[in-house]
Amino acid sequence: MIFNVYKKEIKDTLRDRRTVIMMIVIPTLVFPIIMNVYMKISEKFAAETEAQKVKIGLVSNQVGEIEQDLMNVPKELGKKQFIPYKDTNALKKDIQDKKIELGCYISANENEQLKAMKPVEIIVFHDGTDLGMKERFQAYIGFIETKMKQQRYAQLKINEENITPVQVNYSNVASDKEMFGKLAGGILPYFFIAFGFMGCMYPAIDLFTGEKERGTLETLLTTPVKRWKILIGKMLVVVTSGLMASTFSLIGLFLSIESLDPEKAPELIAIVNDILSPAFIAMLYVLLIPMIFFFAGIMIPIAIRAKSFKEAQSIISPLNMLVVLPGMVGFFPGIELNYVTAVIPVINVVLATKELIAGTLELQYVALAFGVMVSLAVFVVLLSNRKFESERSLL
Amino acid sequence: MIKVENLVKTFELNKQQRKELNTSERTVTAVSNVSFTCEPGKIHALLGANGAGKTTTMRMMSTIFKPTSGSIEIAGIDALKDPEEARKHIGFLTGSAGLYARLTPNEIVDYYGSLYGISKADIQIRKKKLFEMLNMHDFQNKRIGKLSTGMKQKVSICRTMIHDPQVILFDEPTSGLDVITAAAIIELIKQCKDEGKTVIFSSHIMGEVDLLSDNITIIHKGKTVVNSTMEEFRAGMQAPNLTAEFIRVVNQQETAAL
Repeated sequence: MIFNVYKKEIKDTLRDRRTVIMMIVIPTLVFPIIMNVYMKISEKFAAETEAQKVKIGLVSNQVGEIEQDLMNVPKELGKKQFIPYKDTNALKKDIQDKKIELGCYISANENEQLKAMKPVEIIVFHDGTDLGMKERFQAYIGFIETKMKQQRYAQLKINEENITPVQVNYSNVASDKEMFGKLAGGILPYFFIAFGFMGCMYPAIDLFTGEKERGTLETLLTTPVKRWKILIGKMLVVVTSGLMASTFSLIGLFLSIESLDPEKAPELIAIVNDILSPAFIAMLYVLLIPMIFFFAGIMIPIAIRAKSFKEAQSIISPLNMLVVLPGMVGFFPGIELNYVTAVIPVINVVLATKELIAGTLELQYVALAFGVMVSLAVFVVLLSNRKFESERSLL
Repeated sequence: MIKVENLVKTFELNKQQRKELNTSERTVTAVSNVSFTCEPGKIHALLGANGAGKTTTMRMMSTIFKPTSGSIEIAGIDALKDPEEARKHIGFLTGSAGLYARLTPNEIVDYYGSLYGISKADIQIRKKKLFEMLNMHDFQNKRIGKLSTGMKQKVSICRTMIHDPQVILFDEPTSGLDVITAAAIIELIKQCKDEGKTVIFSSHIMGEVDLLSDNITIIHKGKTVVNSTMEEFRAGMQAPNLTAEFIRVVNQQETAAL
């Protein structure tokens, strides 16, 4: 009987355009769209910045070595055009008015300082909101500085190695996979939690509050099927919808990574291919299934109690924040799965997934997290059953 | 057969409901000591003004609601002790169509048939008969959302009768229907009687009550005010017709309560 209820409800649910959009279309498309838009914008920004001829206002009393060197910075470091200014006030105003992008003041005692092998003061004016400009000038100055340092070493007959007391090489012992898991792995659980919740929402409201409103629940209760069987049949549809939304969001996420240009992100593609093993997917679902039951079990008693679709929606929608915010914990590096975080619902799944991606999963914590989620899922299922048995809530 | 004895249903009121009903009482009695018996092959009319307690009584008979006290016997089964078994013998046509807008009549009837544990082959035989009786073949594969009110009511009736129940409860079966559809449904109710089924129906259309009923129960504010055969009721009427007599009985109760 549970299967009969499930079969009918899933057929009915899959014919609801709104649910299909929430369950399949949006989760599949959202990440590729975000990724595509982000890549396009950043590529366009990088290309524009590279091609842009930067106007640099120059306040200087003479045409000294630094001025000459600035003019001769190779084009590969970015095109530029120098505009002479008499004072820094006009220069700063023109930067604010976006007439020029950068300003440079070179100290009047430039030649004396250079002769005395002392530093020459240079003040660079820039607009902090104009991204990339400061870095552009740093590249010019870096080029000049390197050249001038070499000249001074030669003049002073100094071997550069002699004034380099230590040479430090940092060696990262974390694998690329671990780095990816710990630093960027939070995005994966965030997506499947958010979409899992949204995927459960519409079917939960439709199959309980909606049926109450349409009078179909009353007719269903006149059949000889035990109420708990009806509840389980319906709940399984809600869980299926949540799981499908989560799965499609993961498919969308992986497809968008796979569709990246292999030359631009070879490490990322290699890591994703390495992660996507049957064991990883199985483990992911071990964590995901009790959590989706937990979501369904939270929503169903509300949906049973609500008198209208609108009322149920207005109560369940804000709950989304309670789920999405813990989901964001995964974005913060440093928060790890331990005996404390493993007992906090949702956060435990997020952190366990991160560890799973990084390949640093410790079984005792995962078992604890899994146990907590299963216990909560059982509790909310029993709560749903209690509500579903209540006459007052049903009609 | 259906036998109802001293049926009482009391609902607890929450804060909001007490406010809406402007009462400080924590409970409200929707049905109080309602008793009647309907034999197989008889049609029993359950009448009352809106809010009188007819639907609550029907919901108790269909085992959706559990009575606060009293007893219900359906086809020899104690409905309170074994509601699932009793439901196998009941067909309840609820006040609302209660249909799934995204499914077709075929799918809905199949679904309900399966919930009653009927084999696929038997569902097909029974469905064919009902579809023919109610002239439903033209729209059997159209989605419910695209059907007219009359078509939907026909589907509801099929859903109610797919398991060939011995006891059928019709809650306002012709409400809002056109004359032709209503006539088809009245014909079906008569046929149920001819087949020896026990039929209980509620209606506000007195012409139907007059035409169909063998027995009559009038409920007012949850209490039985009339419980007799139609013949006895007609014989004792003080008003010229059934509608006028119903109004007279209800008004008499209102006056007595003052």
